[in-house]
Amino acid sequence: MSIAPRVWLLWSLAAVTVALSTDNPVYRALVALVALNVLLTWLPPGRRLRPLVAMLAFAAGMAALVNVLAGHTGAHVIARLPAGWPLIGGAFTVESIAFGGALGLGLVAALLAVAPLSLVLEPHDVVDAMPAPLERTGIAVATSLNLVSGFGRTLTAVRDAQRMRGWKPRGLRSWYEVLVPVVLTAIEDSVLLAEAMEARGFGAGRRTTYAAGRWTRWDLAVVIAALGAAAVFVGLRLAGAPIDWYPYPALYLPPINPILVAACLALALPGLAAPDRGRAAVEAGA
Amino acid sequence: MSASMTAPLVRFDGVTYRYPSVATPSLCAVDLEMGPGLTVVVGGSGGGKSTLLRLLDGLVPQFHGGRISGSAVVAGLDPFRTPVPLMAQRVGLVFQDVETQSVYGTVEREVAFGLENAGLPRAEMHDRVDEALGELAIEHLRGRRLTTLSGGERQRVQLAAVLAMRPRVVALDEPTSQLDLDGAAAVLTACLRLARDGRAVVVAEHRLETLLPAADRLLLVEDGRVSSTTAEALTSHVEARPRHSFAASEVVWELGDVAAGPAGCSAPVLDGISLAGAAGEVVALVGPNGSGKTTLLRTLAGLIPPLAGTVRRPAGRTAYLPQNPGALLHLPTVRAEVELTLRRAGPPRSSSAAAADVAAMLAAFGLTALADRYPRDLSSGERQRAALAATLAGSPALVLLDEPTRGMDHAARHALAAAVRSLTESGSAVVVATHDTDLALELADRTIRLAGGRAVEVAASVHVEVAAADRAAGRAVAAAQGAPR
Repeated sequence: MSIAPRVWLLWSLAAVTVALSTDNPVYRALVALVALNVLLTWLPPGRRLRPLVAMLAFAAGMAALVNVLAGHTGAHVIARLPAGWPLIGGAFTVESIAFGGALGLGLVAALLAVAPLSLVLEPHDVVDAMPAPLERTGIAVATSLNLVSGFGRTLTAVRDAQRMRGWKPRGLRSWYEVLVPVVLTAIEDSVLLAEAMEARGFGAGRRTTYAAGRWTRWDLAVVIAALGAAAVFVGLRLAGAPIDWYPYPALYLPPINPILVAACLALALPGLAAPDRGRAAVEAGA
Repeated sequence: MSASMTAPLVRFDGVTYRYPSVATPSLCAVDLEMGPGLTVVVGGSGGGKSTLLRLLDGLVPQFHGGRISGSAVVAGLDPFRTPVPLMAQRVGLVFQDVETQSVYGTVEREVAFGLENAGLPRAEMHDRVDEALGELAIEHLRGRRLTTLSGGERQRVQLAAVLAMRPRVVALDEPTSQLDLDGAAAVLTACLRLARDGRAVVVAEHRLETLLPAADRLLLVEDGRVSSTTAEALTSHVEARPRHSFAASEVVWELGDVAAGPAGCSAPVLDGISLAGAAGEVVALVGPNGSGKTTLLRTLAGLIPPLAGTVRRPAGRTAYLPQNPGALLHLPTVRAEVELTLRRAGPPRSSSAAAADVAAMLAAFGLTALADRYPRDLSSGERQRAALAATLAGSPALVLLDEPTRGMDHAARHALAAAVRSLTESGSAVVVATHDTDLALELADRTIRLAGGRAVEVAASVHVEVAAADRAAGRAVAAAQGAPR
């Protein structure tokens, strides 16, 4: 089974909408878990999750840390820094840690929700996913994805070449000899790609699309479930229903609404499908 | 010349072009006519070959800027004024580096990219993609991811992407510089088929052994001037290096039962490799794209740890030239690049001695006039020479060269051969991975062929035969396609 590129785009948009429309860590955690399951189900062979996991840990850690250091309100004080210290001076509270964790969780959920666009889809799928007015944006994204993988290869090649000339990593300044050629090569590659794209008619006028883009019933079900989930969260927020969690001034357990839990679980639908591994095997040349 | 070269598809009258901020013209008063058939463009690095090709579809001057004079008509259009995306529907250009011109990730979609840009109906796009893949005999690659293809396969995919546009003029910039013999022959076959179909096919290339016998027309581009030339004027005779045999006691590097593969690979590319080399010896590694030549060099350099077995290197510096010279060059001038290596490589020396060493290295690779140029502004062949000078400076004990003649003209190849001889005379051990059979013949004491993860030593007599077969391949392909002899 496969899922149409535009369905992936809509699913990602819906999942991000859910993750960012509430501060409640329960719903955010649910979205993160559901998105991770979808990602693990659809991740093509040979693609690695480790860089994404590292990025998630960094982003979530930083978000939480900034809130803990800069937010000094809350009833349960753990420690204090002198109030005169700019920004970080004041009390560190259990509440600010909890809210920082919820912020980090929101980032993790949102990043996992959009991860399939780079880890599951091919660059041409990203172009196919975009509506016609945004097709050029899609191509910019697709070419960027190609350049990102090239960036990693260039970094390895440059680091190795400089090592063989006697370079040793000694502090930040020493990385100049590696980072300068990497950045210059990335810029050169971008210019060469732009030249190649123009030489192949990019920008001639109205484009057409090679892919048929037909949706299956499964595609339709995924879109209805995902948009439905997003609509429930946005609708309840607009109606003024309590979907957030704000642990100040004193910490309390986040409320749980069964309808919102069901909406989060509706996002899990793509994870119930079995991907067509035959296609992946052909692409990989197996 | 072929009788089929009739109505000109390309006509330049007095074309002179300067790149922005460059005082001297890259092309000077070019008068040229080209009809259907295969035109091979030859000449030294930085002479203007790539610029001439970019004139054909208007990238020069429209993409690159600069000043141009004269007039041109290509496939019925004025390439100086017709927007490049519109020129692209009549003129196809395949660039030197296949890795930097891919937009999409899979073969079928990559071939269709230009057709999408032209706004063709979906059914016609499918027909044209089928036709182009069939024309280059790569239908079996249709669903493959580009990153899983060999260099030869990728080059043919890019050519298919151009063919799908049904251009009347097809230009290729050094299409075989990274390819093994089979890959180069496949690209040449495709070019000849296009030429016989009435298209003008223009190929700029240094690697002439397979192309010269098939060419309808030869153009020499030197210092921006374009003139006709003949195959006889370009044929060079390669002297095989007298083989030296070395005693076991002279061995300075050794791979003992090594299994190795690129980082993160699931299965080793090399398995059970046992090789050794002596001081003063040149070992050439040959074999098809993907056979593990680069992996072997990187393992020997210590850049990737072996999965099994042992690696021994000589005391002293190991110099390593990667395939992409851009990985090395980051300083403002070519001179500074050589100075950096010398400063790090050897014992401290007086400034006058160091300056003399730098000057000698620059002169050895014909870089004296380019010494104060920014390395990344140079042509690909000049850049390769700059990377070689920066790599080989300072008497390394072990020299590892990965495709060192990429983009190089004959003069530069001879300079490389001389530099390698000089290094071996002073005791350096050299290992060179190359598709260039003439280079291997000229330099190597021993030739090792890698295939299927294994290494087999090629006997000297067989090696000479392989080099001869390489040259004969062009004649064979040409004969099969009905080309003039």
